[in-house]
Amino acid sequence: MKTTTRRSLAFVGVMLIFAVLSAGCTGGTGSVPTLNIVNWESYGSDDPAFVAAFESEYGCKIANQYMQSEEDLLTKLRTSKPGEIDLCLPNCTILTAAIEAGLLEEIDVGRLENFGSLFERFKTQKEVMMNGKYYAVPWVWGSTAIAYNTDLISRPPDSMSVLFDEAFAGKIAFRDDYNDAIMAAAIVTGQDPNNPGDLVAIKEALANQKRLNRNYWETGDEFSKLFVGGQLSVAMMWSGQAASMKLEGEPIAFVVPADGAIGWVDNWGIVTGTKNKDLAYAFIDWMISRDFQYNWAANGGPAPVNREAADAVDPDYAAAAAMDEASLNRLFFMEYRSDEVKREWNELWTEVKATN
Amino acid sequence: MGAKRRLLALPGVSVILIFAVAPLFIMLYYSFQGDSQGAGLTLENYTRFFEKQFYLSLTWSTIKNSIFVTLVSLAVSYPLAYIMAKKLKGVRNIVLVLIIIPFFTNQLVRVYSWLIFLQDGGILENVLSALGIINGALGLLYTRAAVVIGLVHAFFPYMVITIYLALEKLDNALLEASASLGASKFETFRKITLPLSAPGVAAGLLLVFVPCLGTFVEPRILGGVNGMVIGTVIEDQFFRIYGWNFGAAVAFILLAMVIVSVSAFSRLGRGGSLE
Repeated sequence: MKTTTRRSLAFVGVMLIFAVLSAGCTGGTGSVPTLNIVNWESYGSDDPAFVAAFESEYGCKIANQYMQSEEDLLTKLRTSKPGEIDLCLPNCTILTAAIEAGLLEEIDVGRLENFGSLFERFKTQKEVMMNGKYYAVPWVWGSTAIAYNTDLISRPPDSMSVLFDEAFAGKIAFRDDYNDAIMAAAIVTGQDPNNPGDLVAIKEALANQKRLNRNYWETGDEFSKLFVGGQLSVAMMWSGQAASMKLEGEPIAFVVPADGAIGWVDNWGIVTGTKNKDLAYAFIDWMISRDFQYNWAANGGPAPVNREAADAVDPDYAAAAAMDEASLNRLFFMEYRSDEVKREWNELWTEVKATN
Repeated sequence: MGAKRRLLALPGVSVILIFAVAPLFIMLYYSFQGDSQGAGLTLENYTRFFEKQFYLSLTWSTIKNSIFVTLVSLAVSYPLAYIMAKKLKGVRNIVLVLIIIPFFTNQLVRVYSWLIFLQDGGILENVLSALGIINGALGLLYTRAAVVIGLVHAFFPYMVITIYLALEKLDNALLEASASLGASKFETFRKITLPLSAPGVAAGLLLVFVPCLGTFVEPRILGGVNGMVIGTVIEDQFFRIYGWNFGAAVAFILLAMVIVSVSAFSRLGRGGSLE
């Protein structure tokens, strides 16, 4: 009895040691280097054709992990061990926080062959830089503006206020996201969407808007289900998804209205402590290359930062997907927000949603 | 021997301590952390919650909703468990499997099935209009009723099983004795069956009410613009704005409500015995 107990305890102990050892070995000391990427799901870096081409060119493996939100990405970066993640895709609302916390490596853009082809706006985007040094490279951009059902509405809406219009009550879908909600309401109430001064007016506008919705949506999939069912006339939507739904034959059109809409930029960053720096540079260079950017943009992807790629896209399609320069110039690009501002905005949005 | 037996519990207990209790205390610590760096322990997360009217009304509406779901589950589960325990003989196990099968599917799959079933132009609308019961759109999706339906379906099996187990143990000889002594069926139910199944009922109420308080998936997907519950606030804090401190505080307020309801329900269960 005694020996059996001891033996089983010893067995448990050995198993624990093995577990700890094997957990410590996942850093990847195998012969084939693995490039660990954190990105959105189905968002370019996990495209099978790209993965196969890149893996055979550089003799490596690509491992994609998916993020649920920008905050989720920050949490992943803060809690991961050095070398666990090589590359990640922050947008401009969290970049400053990530750079200040030392989570991203400085990037020598001189090593990127394709950097010179970027639009000037993206080459000099202030959020990717700190003290004149680069810590991320802009990759794709897009807008959160208005999509409408062309079977139900013939003339493109010319203002964000269409989302607040009684005439479409019950046929509107607003996005369930504190940032998008407050920026949209700021545009409608005539304030600077990145630094709104009158949050009370915004809260009131959003509270009045609430009952006009068929529903709020959060993920692209939720939007598709609402739209495909013919339940929507106008909705807040992303340019990229509206374009790909149009390619699939849905009666959808997308417009950045005259009074502006919300713009975003996704940027690649190299994570501090990576053991695959050369591969990471090669990856980013591939991601911003004309061919990759053109192929994705022309097939329902978001807008390219590479000017050669943008020029190659069919102009009608570019206008329909709001990738054209006129749309670009009307956008208010999301800027970095401090934790305090995020908390304040999030609480305002919670109040709107919680009050019946 | 006693000491050795206790030693055998050590692996299990230490797993619980390391992976369940310790993290809970870490979260408790977070809930007393201020948002500004190095401010020491503070109550500001808790005061912020209680100062804001909408957090309190949201909590209250979540509690009301959970009570309603629990009562509907009871109304569905008790008759079902009674029939299974006392009336069905051969097919009992088949019914039990049918009740448990939804547990094998993913929560999201279940919720989206309800979405498809309840939506305008969906299966339920078509069936009801074919029967001539309704005319036009059903309008059930994105209402509180849809949330209640989804939650009852998600949690009532717990209640069926606990009540069923209590009723199955109930000796039929007691019921026969009651009948032979001239008690009516209702009297037998009220004086014998109900008190003896009370522990099962109490456990079932608890197993439905508690998860209902914290859930946020069903309300969000089925509840439309008014689908916000207190669980959503916690989710938002953790996943959207890195607000771990405030999120932890709300989670512990929820935990306090759970502890209160556990003690209330367990008193209810203990009260159940034959006079």
